[in-house]
Amino acid sequence: MSGPRSVLLNMPLPAELAHLAAKEGVEVDRAWLTTATDLNLAGSYERVFLLAETDRLVTLALPDKSGRPATRICLARQSISEIRTRQGVGGGFLDALVDGIYVEVVAYSNARADVFHKTAAKLKSWLRGIQPDVGPEDDADPRRCPKCGMMLEFKGDLCKRCINRGAVFVRVLRMMRPYTGKAVVMMALVLAGIGLSLIPQQMIRVLIDQVLAPGQAGNLPPANATTWLLALVAALLGIHVVMAGIHMIMGRLASFVGTQITFDMRSRVFGHLTRLGVDYYDRYNVGQLMSRVAGDTEQMKGFVHQMTSGFMAQMITVVAVGAVLFSLNWKLAMITLLPAPLVVTAAIFFWKRIYPRYFRVWDANSKLHGTLNTILSGIRVVKAFGQEHREQNRFARSSGYVRDSFRGVEYTVTLFNPSIGVLFQLGGILVWFVGGQWVLAHDLTLGKLMAFLGYLGMFYHPLGQLTQLTNWLTQFLTATQRTFEILDTNPQIAEQDQPRPLLEKGGSIRFENVTFGYSRHEPVIKNVSFEVAPGEHIGIVGKSGCGKTTLINLLARFYDVDEGRILVDGIDVRELQLQQLRAYVGVVLQEPFLFRGTIYNNLTYGQRDATPEQVLSAAKAANAHEFIIRHPLGYDTYIGERGAGLSGGERQRISIARALLYDPKILILDEATSNVDTESEQLIQEALERVTAGRTTIAIAHRLSTLKNSDRILVVDNGQIVEHGTHEQLLGQKGLYYKLVKIQTELSREPSVDALSNRKP
Amino acid sequence: MTDEPTQPESESGPDPTRVRYLTPDSCRIHLGTHGALHVTVRDERIYGGVYAAYAFPVAYGDQFISLLHSAGEGKDVEIGLIRNLSDFPPQQADLVRQALARRYFIHTITRIHEIGWKYGFVSLDVETDKGRVQFMMRWKSDRAVDYGRRGKVLIDVDENRYLIPNLDALSPGERADFTRIIYW
Repeated sequence: MSGPRSVLLNMPLPAELAHLAAKEGVEVDRAWLTTATDLNLAGSYERVFLLAETDRLVTLALPDKSGRPATRICLARQSISEIRTRQGVGGGFLDALVDGIYVEVVAYSNARADVFHKTAAKLKSWLRGIQPDVGPEDDADPRRCPKCGMMLEFKGDLCKRCINRGAVFVRVLRMMRPYTGKAVVMMALVLAGIGLSLIPQQMIRVLIDQVLAPGQAGNLPPANATTWLLALVAALLGIHVVMAGIHMIMGRLASFVGTQITFDMRSRVFGHLTRLGVDYYDRYNVGQLMSRVAGDTEQMKGFVHQMTSGFMAQMITVVAVGAVLFSLNWKLAMITLLPAPLVVTAAIFFWKRIYPRYFRVWDANSKLHGTLNTILSGIRVVKAFGQEHREQNRFARSSGYVRDSFRGVEYTVTLFNPSIGVLFQLGGILVWFVGGQWVLAHDLTLGKLMAFLGYLGMFYHPLGQLTQLTNWLTQFLTATQRTFEILDTNPQIAEQDQPRPLLEKGGSIRFENVTFGYSRHEPVIKNVSFEVAPGEHIGIVGKSGCGKTTLINLLARFYDVDEGRILVDGIDVRELQLQQLRAYVGVVLQEPFLFRGTIYNNLTYGQRDATPEQVLSAAKAANAHEFIIRHPLGYDTYIGERGAGLSGGERQRISIARALLYDPKILILDEATSNVDTESEQLIQEALERVTAGRTTIAIAHRLSTLKNSDRILVVDNGQIVEHGTHEQLLGQKGLYYKLVKIQTELSREPSVDALSNRKP
Repeated sequence: MTDEPTQPESESGPDPTRVRYLTPDSCRIHLGTHGALHVTVRDERIYGGVYAAYAFPVAYGDQFISLLHSAGEGKDVEIGLIRNLSDFPPQQADLVRQALARRYFIHTITRIHEIGWKYGFVSLDVETDKGRVQFMMRWKSDRAVDYGRRGKVLIDVDENRYLIPNLDALSPGERADFTRIIYW
């Protein structure tokens, strides 16, 4: 084979195996595809090679002790009628259909699953007599990190191996950039406050050594002593008043900057969440995301607090007081540092042992939010099945988990912190013992010892607090990293730098060889192609889970196709500006989602500048006006969460009016009438007839009667379009559509379906 | 042949609406063309390309094993359930066990040499029934799921599976290290 080769699909055979294979008649050099798996068909680790020659498929492995040949399986192309991959547990199989029986050709672990999905696709073409191209482009795997090759959780996900953890602080500081002026003033005040706090102990030293002791000894005239005393006390008062003022201003500034940064972060995170694709929400629990937006962003405020009165101020204090201690008496200062190595050891222990428990607390809280959200969202189901007691137990378990995880951390912390405190006190006791002896021996003045002991309190208190630094740092880094994870997640549905505008605006749709799967092993849509002309009404039918909704999810670009492309008015949807595409494609869902607010606000959700006249016309056309006007507050009626207070049919008619106001060129109706009663369905059907006139419409419905007037109906089965045509044509084909009609006729006594079956040709 | 109320089988296969239990009297399990697993059901037909699946992999290991075959067009049809594999002749039971071993590619962890953090992932170095393995997994609850009352199934970044059937069977040190990180 010439030209560029694929690393995965043009693998060289080991020399020994190539030699043995050649002896057994395998034309290794003429194989157009050679790849390897990590398992044999017994499910054990073994390197087995798969070769595709022009007219046969061969598997090869080095012979074991039994001396069996290198060739394990050899299947002639003409004997194979189908190739497929089949998912097992922890791995899968490449099967060939031979004489009506699926034969396992190769087994593979999930690490090799993607390779064999690609291989199967190539072999399918080969079976059809088309020689597929194999080249370096086959090595690309969007589900792996392009930098390190690590498997990502989903396409476009953040590679956890490549996250720069050290950059977290830099990023937080960068967020403070708009408030640099205030931050500088804040830090200047911090330094001034610390500087001032060092003065009183020096004044106490002077007071004892120069005023009180000489006064008591009668060396100083009483009047002078009193003047000195008053002057020093007044200076002390002045210093405390100034410090109080500094703390007031600093507190206000810290509050302003802290809350503002939290606000900024929350806005950025929420803004990014709205830009992330639907698939992101498929993978993350809404409760967990709520916890991230509401709770984790709050840590930003803590960061500013730590700068002004937390660990940063305390570190500066420790350094400043340490310097003063050494200047007063370096020998005594050295004694105070004796416990330091023990403190460092304890901090390392804290990081290794207590650190993971904070994640547990976060996880427990997140799960509690998730449980609560699930139970309360589904409270109607809970009540309908009488499962209140069970849910109460479930909640109690979650709540107990929070309690236990908190206790786990707090019990350990309460053990750790006092132990560290004892270590510090040891240093203080040593100072009293050694310093006291020096005073008695007149090697040290009493004033100096008292000042030293005063500074010792100032030294130990922040040092003790600094042991909490690990505690805070853990929480801060965890929360911040989680927040940045959201911000760093690339929206999978990315816009091109220069999107193409929709100029034609005709409403044509074209699916070209579209393949797509929500998970990497299971394509839901398989090589689907169809076209819809402008203004055409298309019905899509098929069994549950066959891929109907996925087709429209792809058209609205909630997800991107894995293979092939979707064109709207001749332009690939990936090249269009997302906002323009979404304005072009309107969706009416089975479960219309209405927001808390007035009916008017919900109607104008996609078209804020709609006039009252337009709103009234849309509501009228959607058969919504009559029931809205019956409410005492009409369009200004306030509706609850998810449209509470309205019936299913009423909610649906509002969503139709909402779509109508949006005035999309292409309208998608996804089971729009399946959750409503017959009367409502009739009203909705009437509304839909008005709404869809002149628009390209794609409607999905289980009730086939609702689609019988479509220009064309596409029948989807197992991710493929198996039939298409008008209602009458499809009935005439007596295929799957005919079967579905028969089933519905037998199951339902609804006149519409009965009538439908009577129209059999 | 079966404890379930019997009813005539159609020529095309079993009634999809009822559970059918396969017994040594009602069927024979054997290998056929290209080494594929076959099941011959008395008075019915020979099914080729058969594979086996546990109905209750945790609760009932050797019991309630489903035998399925591909009916084409991506549809798999259950031929029947084996209530208890030990009721079958050893050779036939072995064929089913081999089919299960092929379908369930799971490493059973017997010892944890090391568990720690690497690049934000949980990194494990373990001894398994398939040899010593090092792997990395995401630190998420759905990557370490419960298996019975005291077991865990770990799923690595490639979605390979590693089973710890019973955490209590690990040494106290290994268990403490494991639950410090995988605590849920």
